[in-house]
Amino acid sequence: MKPTKPTSRRRFLENTALGAIGVIGASKLIQSCAPGETTAEVVEPVFLKTAVDGQPIRAGVVGCGGRGSGAAVNFLDAGPNLSIVALADVFQDRIDDLRKKLKDEKDVDVEDANCFVGFDAYKRLLEVDLDYVILATPPYFRPVQFQACVEARKHIFMEKPVAVDPVGARAVMAASKQAEAAGLCVVTGTQRRHQWSYNNVKARIDAGMIGDIVATNVYWNQNQLWYRENQPAWTEMEWMIRDWVNWTWLSGDHIVEQHVHNIDVSNWFVGTHPVEAVGMGSRLRRKTGDCYDNFSVDFIYDKTIHMNSMCRQINECANSVSEYLRGNKGYTDPGGTIWDAAGTVLYKWESPVDEADEPVENDPYVQEHIDLISAIREGKQIVEAEETARSVLTAIMGRISAYTGKKVTWEEMMSSDMTIGPKSEIKLGPVDIDKTIPIPGSD
Amino acid sequence: MRPKRKRAGRIIFLSGMLVLALIIFLGNKVVVKTSTDEYCASCHIHPHSTQSWKRSTHFDNKMGIHVHCVDCHLPPHGEGYLVQKAKTGLRDVWAKTFRDSASFNWEAKSQIDYASHHTFETSCIRCHQNNYPLGLTKEGREAHLYYERQAGELHCINCHITVGHYDPERLHAQNTDFGIVKTASSELYKEPGVINGFNDFKEYIPGSAVSFDMIAIPAGTFMMGSPEDEPFRNQDEGPVREVEISPFFMAKIEVSWDEYMAFFKQTGAQGKSSDTYLNMDREDVDGISGPTPPYGAPDQGWGIGKMPAMSMTHHAAEVYCEWLTEITGKTYRLPTEAEWEYAARGGNTTPYFFDGDPRRYVDKGIRNKIFGVDTTVINSYIIYAENSGARSGPPSATLENPFGLINMLGNVLEFCSDWYADEAYSQYEEGTLKDPTGPDSGEEHVVRGGSYRDGAELVRCASRNYTKTDAWMKTDPQIPKSVWWYSDCFYVGFRVVCEYEEAPAD
Repeated sequence: MKPTKPTSRRRFLENTALGAIGVIGASKLIQSCAPGETTAEVVEPVFLKTAVDGQPIRAGVVGCGGRGSGAAVNFLDAGPNLSIVALADVFQDRIDDLRKKLKDEKDVDVEDANCFVGFDAYKRLLEVDLDYVILATPPYFRPVQFQACVEARKHIFMEKPVAVDPVGARAVMAASKQAEAAGLCVVTGTQRRHQWSYNNVKARIDAGMIGDIVATNVYWNQNQLWYRENQPAWTEMEWMIRDWVNWTWLSGDHIVEQHVHNIDVSNWFVGTHPVEAVGMGSRLRRKTGDCYDNFSVDFIYDKTIHMNSMCRQINECANSVSEYLRGNKGYTDPGGTIWDAAGTVLYKWESPVDEADEPVENDPYVQEHIDLISAIREGKQIVEAEETARSVLTAIMGRISAYTGKKVTWEEMMSSDMTIGPKSEIKLGPVDIDKTIPIPGSD
Repeated sequence: MRPKRKRAGRIIFLSGMLVLALIIFLGNKVVVKTSTDEYCASCHIHPHSTQSWKRSTHFDNKMGIHVHCVDCHLPPHGEGYLVQKAKTGLRDVWAKTFRDSASFNWEAKSQIDYASHHTFETSCIRCHQNNYPLGLTKEGREAHLYYERQAGELHCINCHITVGHYDPERLHAQNTDFGIVKTASSELYKEPGVINGFNDFKEYIPGSAVSFDMIAIPAGTFMMGSPEDEPFRNQDEGPVREVEISPFFMAKIEVSWDEYMAFFKQTGAQGKSSDTYLNMDREDVDGISGPTPPYGAPDQGWGIGKMPAMSMTHHAAEVYCEWLTEITGKTYRLPTEAEWEYAARGGNTTPYFFDGDPRRYVDKGIRNKIFGVDTTVINSYIIYAENSGARSGPPSATLENPFGLINMLGNVLEFCSDWYADEAYSQYEEGTLKDPTGPDSGEEHVVRGGSYRDGAELVRCASRNYTKTDAWMKTDPQIPKSVWWYSDCFYVGFRVVCEYEEAPAD
């Protein structure tokens, strides 16, 4: 790894600004502690508001849909000396849209020669002179594309989830270790890990503010998600990819695709992954695809800590996207508040304010790129893929349990050869998968 | 006279320092000198080790690096190097001086069990610091993930046994040529053997050139288990039960590689995995789907032919019986534990089916060490730790038991159909048992007879043992693990029995 550069003046100022918030937080902590109660020292998290300057970074985007386009702009917003030089997607119109958006909003031109269409477009993109790849295709494609990026020695930003089945999740774990060994930086889209609020709470939970975590609840209950009806001009493959969040082989189902965020928070705070899961779920109102639209899973960590997980995508039901962690001395909403066992607020995250006294919120989507770019430029390696793969595999374990009605263990996940997706070559045309909706149990 | 004294003290101190420096200097010289490959090879008692090293990738590789004896066979400097060196050195000097080098079983010492004691994993890791280099194959990445999850259970050499000493029999590659038997010129049997009343018969495997002998084991009653005063008796061998056994046929020898290869050839599924965890469509099994090719050589390079087939899983042995049943039109299966012991005893109630005291045969006890042991009798009947040279043997090496069966005791462990339970014998209902079949369910199956690795205490007729699925599979990095081959058990095989159906009275 490269030696660390000296702290720039700009960085120093930002650090002190955020550091000041930390001091406020710490003082609250001190006030709230009962006399004589000892708590480990809080290690204040430090975040940059913009990426450090340094070598120019040339990025390519693989998957130019909604999230890919968003990530492209987030990347350009992250700091100085950044450019997007290549695009890849299965569909031409996606490339055209993103190219136009980059031109209109960011005045960035991507050459014709660097725009690639097709299922192997990512391979050709990797031949362009670039340092940084944004992977935002449907998760089914992630393990193979991630592996290719690592082999090509690129730094990588990739969206969650990083796989849809056990084989894919393990492939990402191994490729992550390769990236680590090769000195690459990888950030995945579990953006709560890049939110100031979560990190400030995490620092205090780690210091023992609620004692040991004894139980967690995580939720992603929301309205129906988007979907696309089939079009006469589309092949079945094109339809599935344009409607990907509704197909298990492409998205992993919504417990993996969306709810992994909250499951990851639980794993992150508890510090490990569950060892078994018993779940249930069903498909009641989803319009297209073969995914369920509700899951409830009881995950068990070692030492009998349970994580109760719920996710739903149905209109006009009670909604919540949050986490709740209970310790033996208190509890927390890791998004910003910590209480003692009696319900008194011990700590509440407050956004810092600017000169005009307006709160400054961090945009975690941009923060991810700020952190990744700064890590690259300062030679401070960061590789998140393995840990994200573990949270993804946790979600997959819950999904399989709900689909089969069986208890599923981590050990089984780590030695399962299950792959989902078409058995034949991936190409536009009919798709050879079993579209039966899983029904657990028997009559 | 103080100054003089002072001077003398100074001289003593200086000369002491000088001697110390000399000792360190010479000591270092000795350490360096005795750590060279040439020094290791200078005893000339294992020249093949040098040869196999020179053929290995630790000598001949693209990087042009030679990895020396002490790089692997001693821990890294600062991690107990000198201590281990001293230990190894003393052991070697003692062995060289007092022992007959011709008696050393180098092959046994190159088996994983032993090799992992004189190959230091810390030394592997000192050089191989990255388990995930770019360019590593998908299988390699999966295997290293597996290795990391088995923290402490697996040594690098569990998979990479040949990297330091080349051994073509143990290369870590799928053995896809396995079972391609060159028997084209031999005559192939068209019909199976015929049972003619309750007599010994010869079975012929149709479509192969393989035949084997089946012995008629007459009905009878015997005492299953061992009396409490039997030497080396284990709790699980009791209480002794009276058991009545119906007549059956039992193979004279353990299933041989010839027999097992015939099965493999006719049913083998090359590279096809089956019995996959959570694979929800399992109904596609039409006919019998046989084993996948093994990794490496399951015969360990000890030879095939009439040598006992080994390393197959209990499941594979059961599928073998189904297959044999299908192609011969008889009913073949694994023996029950009771049938096995009845057959092994051949009418005897003593520890072995011949006269002999286990206490006199074990390699323990001062008396035996001093006076030596006459092992002529046991050597003629059993291949066990003291005479096996750490490998299995052919049926021609030992004599029959009273029923005419060979290698019931020793050689390879034999699968039974029963689930194993410590208290199986006390769990049966009271009274005389008729053809008992063991507990209804369990985790592991019974294996009987002991093996070439076991001492005299474990090759007694009553000695019970069981499969150890996790341990016997620990090296297998495949996902899912093979259902056909144990990766870590080269001492289990089986013997078939054939049911006897009395002809209906005319």
